[in-house]
Amino acid sequence: MITSITPAGLAETLLWGVANGCIYILLATGLNLIFGVMKLVNFAHGQLLMVGAFVAYEITTFAGLNPYASILVSMGSLALIGIVIEKFAFRKVRGTEKLNEIFISLGLIYVFQNIATLLWVENYNIRIPSPLEGLNLSFGAVAIGYDRILAMVSVVVILIGLLLLTKKTKIGLAMRATSQKSDAAMLMGININRVYLYTFAVGAALAGAAGALYGILFPFNPAIGALPTIKAFAIIILGGLGSIPGAVIGGLLYGIAENTAVYMLGGIWQDAIAFALLIAVLVIRPTGLFGEKGE
Amino acid sequence: MNFKALLTTSLKSRKFQYALAFIAFVAVLPLFVRSEYLIGNVLTVMIIFALYASSWNLLAYSGQGSLGHAAFLGIGGFTSALVAIRLGIPPIVGLFIGGLLSAGIGLLVGLACVRLKAWFLAMVTFGFSVIAVTIVSQFDSVFGGMIGFATPTIVPQGVPFFYATLAIVTVSIGAIFLVMRSKWGLAFKAIRENELEAKMIGINTAKYRLLAFIISTFFAGLAGGLYAESALFIQISIFEPYYSFLPLIMAVIGGLGTLEGPIIGSIIIVAIDSFAHLSYDFLQPLSPLFPGVNNIGPPLKFVGLGLFLIVVVIFLPKGITSLLHRLYDYLREGETKKVKEK
Repeated sequence: MITSITPAGLAETLLWGVANGCIYILLATGLNLIFGVMKLVNFAHGQLLMVGAFVAYEITTFAGLNPYASILVSMGSLALIGIVIEKFAFRKVRGTEKLNEIFISLGLIYVFQNIATLLWVENYNIRIPSPLEGLNLSFGAVAIGYDRILAMVSVVVILIGLLLLTKKTKIGLAMRATSQKSDAAMLMGININRVYLYTFAVGAALAGAAGALYGILFPFNPAIGALPTIKAFAIIILGGLGSIPGAVIGGLLYGIAENTAVYMLGGIWQDAIAFALLIAVLVIRPTGLFGEKGE
Repeated sequence: MNFKALLTTSLKSRKFQYALAFIAFVAVLPLFVRSEYLIGNVLTVMIIFALYASSWNLLAYSGQGSLGHAAFLGIGGFTSALVAIRLGIPPIVGLFIGGLLSAGIGLLVGLACVRLKAWFLAMVTFGFSVIAVTIVSQFDSVFGGMIGFATPTIVPQGVPFFYATLAIVTVSIGAIFLVMRSKWGLAFKAIRENELEAKMIGINTAKYRLLAFIISTFFAGLAGGLYAESALFIQISIFEPYYSFLPLIMAVIGGLGTLEGPIIGSIIIVAIDSFAHLSYDFLQPLSPLFPGVNNIGPPLKFVGLGLFLIVVVIFLPKGITSLLHRLYDYLREGETKKVKEK
């Protein structure tokens, strides 16, 4: 499926790549926030995205809410789910072996994916209906859907919100302190359990927002979770662990690389290229492109 | 310790006697179990997955948790079947060629992972399994695509294959046990506990991590060959994440880092898998709650499996084996008390 490569085609590929990358940025930022503060990798993060997409779908189709407003509902619901799984699953194994966290998130993958199958399997490969569907903004030969532009804007707004939360609020200060040194933060009177709970809730809410945007742009089903998780992970590694700006740049690079691979080589290579890139970065520079020091 | 001394001490050890009794028990099962389904599709699969889970467990024993072991299961399965069909090599030799190729590729993946820890390693191995399935699905003429192809078997299906599998798996798990008990095993353990300290006391950590990778992937490949033969056919779905997560779930539920854990886990998980459908009738009253699903059994089974894994990790971090150990200690205690009273 190798098409002839034209400058306009390439420009469009880059632009669409940036738009796709935006969704991954949200997911990766959430994962990175959780990792940075809690030193925990939630492998079920993509499943949170999937649940977010379904929540937004239900809100849009049944309550008739604008799909972009449903992002907020999706974020709220996912924050609640995040609180529950932090409190009743991850907190229980904190301080034990690192592998236990991987096992817990694997169990969560099974639980979320199959509950979603039970609830929503009839909605296979649906999309959240958007009023802007099919409308394109074009600059000469290069065209991009309004939905993708709005998705990019939403991501920027959410990221600014996150920046304000971490830099300007008290809980954000506590998060930053905890991420630097949790023991010292605890000695300074910070309630670590509460910081962890909020951090996980914010991370899950970001996954919820990513899910709603994913559902607007791409068809989804209960089984989509695994790949976004790994892509988000690849982005974190590209950008460097625990670094939010790194996640943003990593996400953009990744979206572009993925879209270019599809454009040049064909759709089947989309995911394999992603991993080849991930493995290459890990082998050549295990701390990521922008990371200062490794784990 | 030389082999003879090892044998004499082993024969005296209570645990070794239990292991022998267990193998003897499994070996006589076909005399009592007449159902072909139970022997071919349940017991044989339990034995094969006991090896697969043990191979995963050995890697975890060295502190390396793989999320892509299905790749090695698939490589072993496809290689053993393909060399037997295309090159006319006897299937029993094909089985070991599958294991060796799997180990060879395992060495390459291990080399890429040698500096990585916990979740990085998990991600890279997972990524490798996705790359493997992408490549394999490009060559449908060789690998048979989604439909797959029939596999040859070393001995006829049913009871003969059961015994062949039991023999191969017993020897393999025995070998894994010896590795875990040897100097290598000690090095694996030291690396798992603290890699930096292991390095400081002079362990060549890279070498031992690679060794763990090679041994583990060899046996995973062997299990793949056996699995392909037991199923009578092979298709690329063998590379699915489901098969990567399976040995992990088995080892964790059974008891991570122990010899018997993966075996117990395999028995439990394969039993759940084989007999869960019996409970689907009882679950039928729940189906009006989920109008879109034809059969609510399988998704509910997986929800249950996920919760089971979480509960075991939280409340029984050493797996179900730890319960057995506690029972064993309790019984021993009673015994020694009796002796003292006498």
